[in-house]
Amino acid sequence: MCFLGFGSYFCYDNPAALQTQVIQDMRLTTSKFMQLYAWYSWPNVVLCFLGGFLIDRVFGIRLGTIIFSLFVCGGQVIFAAGALVNHFWLMELGRFVFGIGGESLAVAQNTYAVNWFKGKELNLVFGLQLSMARLGSTVNMNVMSHVYSRIKDLIGSTGPSTLGVSLMIAASTCVFSLICALVLGYLDRRAERILNKEQGKTGEVIKLTDVKDFPLQLWLIFIICVGYYVAIFPFIGLGQVFFIEKFDFSPAQASAVNSIVYIISAPASPLFGLMVDKTGKNIMWVLCAVVTTLISHMMLAFTFWNPWIAMSLMGLSYSLLACALWPMVAFVVPEHQLGTAYGFMQSIQNLGLALIAMAAGAILDNKGYLFLEVFFCACICLALLAVILLYLVDYFRGGELNLSASVRARLLKSSSSDSE
Amino acid sequence: MCYGDHYRRQLSMELNPGLNGSLTPPPGVGIVHVRALGQNDTLHFLLCSHGAPALLLVHTNSTSSSLQINWNEFLNRSTAGSVRVAPQDSVQYSRALVLTRLWEYDDVNDTADPNKTDPSSFFPPYELASFTWDDLNKTVNLTDHTVRLCGKDSAETFNSNSSFCLLFSAYEGVGREEAWPALLHNANSSQLRLWLDRVTPRSNASRFLFELQSVGSPRHESRVDVLKSIDDEYTPSIFQVSQWVFSPPNANTVMGYTQWKPVAYRKAAPLTEDATPCKHSPPVAVDQASPSGLVLAYFGKESRTFGLNMTFGIKDAPYYNATYFLSWTVLVGMGSPPVEFFSPLVMAIMAIGLGAPLAFILFGGIYVCVRKRRAEPSGYEPIN
Repeated sequence: MCFLGFGSYFCYDNPAALQTQVIQDMRLTTSKFMQLYAWYSWPNVVLCFLGGFLIDRVFGIRLGTIIFSLFVCGGQVIFAAGALVNHFWLMELGRFVFGIGGESLAVAQNTYAVNWFKGKELNLVFGLQLSMARLGSTVNMNVMSHVYSRIKDLIGSTGPSTLGVSLMIAASTCVFSLICALVLGYLDRRAERILNKEQGKTGEVIKLTDVKDFPLQLWLIFIICVGYYVAIFPFIGLGQVFFIEKFDFSPAQASAVNSIVYIISAPASPLFGLMVDKTGKNIMWVLCAVVTTLISHMMLAFTFWNPWIAMSLMGLSYSLLACALWPMVAFVVPEHQLGTAYGFMQSIQNLGLALIAMAAGAILDNKGYLFLEVFFCACICLALLAVILLYLVDYFRGGELNLSASVRARLLKSSSSDSE
Repeated sequence: MCYGDHYRRQLSMELNPGLNGSLTPPPGVGIVHVRALGQNDTLHFLLCSHGAPALLLVHTNSTSSSLQINWNEFLNRSTAGSVRVAPQDSVQYSRALVLTRLWEYDDVNDTADPNKTDPSSFFPPYELASFTWDDLNKTVNLTDHTVRLCGKDSAETFNSNSSFCLLFSAYEGVGREEAWPALLHNANSSQLRLWLDRVTPRSNASRFLFELQSVGSPRHESRVDVLKSIDDEYTPSIFQVSQWVFSPPNANTVMGYTQWKPVAYRKAAPLTEDATPCKHSPPVAVDQASPSGLVLAYFGKESRTFGLNMTFGIKDAPYYNATYFLSWTVLVGMGSPPVEFFSPLVMAIMAIGLGAPLAFILFGGIYVCVRKRRAEPSGYEPIN
């Protein structure tokens, strides 16, 4: 089951791993290159709401998983074919189709996990899945350029066809994921027959009318989420060439340092998750994460210090933020609105990613890396401002976002004794 | 003497100064003179197409120094001293940058490194001294203080559309050109942009290199400093600046410089991906007589010449025949080279970005403290 997401995560960052090659072979500007990421994000602006609904009501988990895997697979194949025949619009279409499958597949994967492991090792399974996803990204970053140079040696020259073949090979990981989806579907059906249990449901109910009831705190959390993630993912998408040009890294070294964020987050996420669970004080942890990321971006922008330092810091803070930020949503909205809140959060995150990916490419083409880094710093500063506001709003409204775990437990106990 | 950011000079530009009607120079031969008058000094820039193209910079500590050319002797290349700046004792510094040759080599192994290329892969160089240059009269712009000098070789690889050109610009004060690399210039500098357009390469894997010479006082030493810069706002993705500086022996003062960013462009209106890196060879002493008529006329034998090659491209970068265009820009000036600094926009963004959250922390913190303080006196807990 863990391998289900491997293919889509492997292929998501294919462009980043082959940035120089893609730009050279397809004769692109950086802003056009970043459109590959934007096209992935566009369908997800809508699908974050629909994914759960489609799985629950239309396809069912088994068929849904297989369909989404097919989308991922087909998208990657179209993407590679676009490179083969040297049509950039076909590559964009490929990324779009790939995007339709990608995020929804993650929802399906989580549903399977909940369905099979509820009440057992659910946290461990989630942790493993996340690690697997990060592993996919990391392997991609470090392997794709080798694959490309092998193909180059085989064909004897660089060009769109070299790129196309490399991407086709990457597509095999998607086929692998598709096979996993089929096997999972089979196992799940057998389990259903033998154990006589129901097909899994995401349990997400999305009501768009809930949006108007969202408290101010939730909107601030959205701003943090968008401001923070747009300074991470588009940056990683553009990272390889940055490390080559500014720090004189070899392409392999540059890919390695670019993937350190994912490598660190694989083991760090469960640890930080435990830490935040034990201590509470979510806002403080989010503040920590945002400030650390700001520092690491400023290090990359204004110094020639070894980027391993900055990128490792970013990896740590990225994991910390994920652990501290997402659970906060549950504190500020009632449970029946949770699905809508999370769907909305992912949706505007994708919207932000799509827009900023395009903006980042354009900035880089015209103003260079320093300005791009300053732009990312500005995004993080916006997130920082939102964190501070969130703290103040929470403080004055007597919220429980920044309570320590022990106080939270006491509150929980007293409220449950009240209701008795 | 101090030249701050606001230091400005009064420029006046003249074509073939002192040439009277009785004498007509051969076609394509001419001198453009820019006189840059400061508060208590004068700079003279001379761009000359007599022989190999050369840019001469003379710094005088007088506001009334003038250029004197004996045209008869200058055109005959007979004597040193036919071009001079008077009074002679006001001259503080003089140096010329000469473009001598264009080399072309067949980079079959795609190394982009002439040192690793077999000498047999080199084609005979184009001697810029034997180029036919266009009339300066048509391209000189006396209000913008620019002049374009284009020429071609007699070989058939130069067809009617091909050219090797120099665009010279002199400046009144601090600023930068819009076109990349958008080097920062000041009142003490001038800029040369060189480009090689639509020349038929002599192989499918041709790369070019420019051979440059710097001629100046025999006492001056030269070295090339490569400085790292975090600021690539004006030249995207270039984090270095190279400067070939000239200084008196055993002294730290820099008398003059030739500054460039290690980047060339493969299109006339380039995008980021049209940039290609360039590399310089270490400067070496050169003994031959200069191919420039101006250098012979001004310096004579009282000079010392350094040579340096500029190579373009790296491994895997497209060859010349991908775009049939190559341009490179260099700043020539006296004193210390200009130093880049963050643009006001970058500083403003960082100031607001960091300032706004800090302000909120501060005021929010004070407000929270005050509220807590106020709540304290009555805030004892009733004992149940």
